[in-house]
Amino acid sequence: MTLLKTSRKLHKWLMLFLGVQFVIWSVTGAYMVIFDIDYIHGDSLVTQHQTPIDVNKINISLTDIIKKYPDAQNINLAVLIDSPVYRFKIAQKNVMLNASSGEVLSPINEVMAVKLAKHYYSADDDISEIELLTNNPPFELSKRHLPAYRVNFEAFGSPSLYINAHSGKVVTKRHEFWRLFDWMFRFHIADYQDGEPDNLLLFWLSIVSLFAVITGLVLTYYRVFKNKRKRANATY
Amino acid sequence: MRLIKLIHKWASVFVGIQLLLWLVSGFYFNIMDHDKVRGNQYRAQIKPAPVLYSNINNTSYIDPKTILAEFEKSQSLKIVLVLDKPYYLLTHQAGLYRHFYNKQTLVNVYSGEEVIIDKKVASNIANQSYNGPGTIQSVTLKKPPIEDIPKEKNPVWQINFKDDVNTSVYINASSGQLIKHSDDDKRFADFFFMLHFMDYASEGSFNNWQIILFSIITLWLVLSGFIWTVELGFKGHYKFSLSMIKNEKQSVSEQPLSHGIKK
Repeated sequence: MTLLKTSRKLHKWLMLFLGVQFVIWSVTGAYMVIFDIDYIHGDSLVTQHQTPIDVNKINISLTDIIKKYPDAQNINLAVLIDSPVYRFKIAQKNVMLNASSGEVLSPINEVMAVKLAKHYYSADDDISEIELLTNNPPFELSKRHLPAYRVNFEAFGSPSLYINAHSGKVVTKRHEFWRLFDWMFRFHIADYQDGEPDNLLLFWLSIVSLFAVITGLVLTYYRVFKNKRKRANATY
Repeated sequence: MRLIKLIHKWASVFVGIQLLLWLVSGFYFNIMDHDKVRGNQYRAQIKPAPVLYSNINNTSYIDPKTILAEFEKSQSLKIVLVLDKPYYLLTHQAGLYRHFYNKQTLVNVYSGEEVIIDKKVASNIANQSYNGPGTIQSVTLKKPPIEDIPKEKNPVWQINFKDDVNTSVYINASSGQLIKHSDDDKRFADFFFMLHFMDYASEGSFNNWQIILFSIITLWLVLSGFIWTVELGFKGHYKFSLSMIKNEKQSVSEQPLSHGIKK
């Protein structure tokens, strides 16, 4: 058999088994490249407020903090909506307190979580649901961000903001496009277990697919490039 | 069906080679050493020392309020360690992520003066994070875009070490914080990522126009091929038997695509 005939036969038979995989690869791949990754990551869901610290509102000094909390680590001073706050860590526990009054703000309550979610959320949609997560985080939230409030908004793509109950910061955000992206990625790497691309299924699929594509390229070569001079004979 | 075959043929001309590159690079991601490609072969795994009261206890530090009033307006002040000494890191303008543009100033907690990360300090920070056998070969201040770390939007110090994997250490030039290590193993993997993402302009992104175009044409290629396969199946071209060879001969004479290829 000639190279052409062998290639045609191999291509035909390999693609009978790989066809579905190629559809999965091209559909999921197209989804991932066409949607802008910053959009997928929900960057447009939150506003990066550049509110400066109002120095005149600070009544608590660093010395006050250190005297009261001698074991405080990673101390920082920042803004929560419009008030200055100190945030620090004591024995793996995060603490936030108001830098004007000294009042301990952490952990925040639901009312505060709603207020913060509305502050950071870039649109003007209503909140549909709010829930405090203390253990068993969903797939999309890392365990280190617990405890956190999940605030769902009533909007296209069902966006959620996750707000850490100790720091009051938005730790992550999700909408359906990102959730779908995660699924697309898993299908793309043929991983139906742990989300890593080092699985055996992908290994064998790639090797066999290489043959399928190389034989396809041979066919293209014969059909398109080798036939150029014989174009007169060809119907297309 | 003629249209389907036409689409399949010409789409394959257009994306065929890239399809091969996608498969080869995809296969590489499957078999690569996932630890090596992080570029951290010689990165010292020191836990960041906790910023403790005792660090600044014995010398009188300047209170954050005074510092904030003296410098450009800040939205946060953070106590950080640079070479085991505490500093205030002021953030004037914050990016959504660390690699986005961040306008920051590093301030000495005792003198209240701005600290500039110079060549010497950058080298020391890099040395502290490095546990390999090499020595520093060059130290350069770089502005983005930086080839090794295309997503970074801040000026960085690049410290190159002379070792078997050509380690480079990147330090944020305004905050003095370690960004990452890179080496030849990582660069080798980056080359395959460039092929897979068609990131031929090194933008550090897979949302470029060329990949969008190619992915759409690939969709046409794959869907037309899929329809073709289904059609072949219905026409009875997939048969497991000795008659398969006979069928094959028959199909060659039947199909219009066999024009001009008969020897």
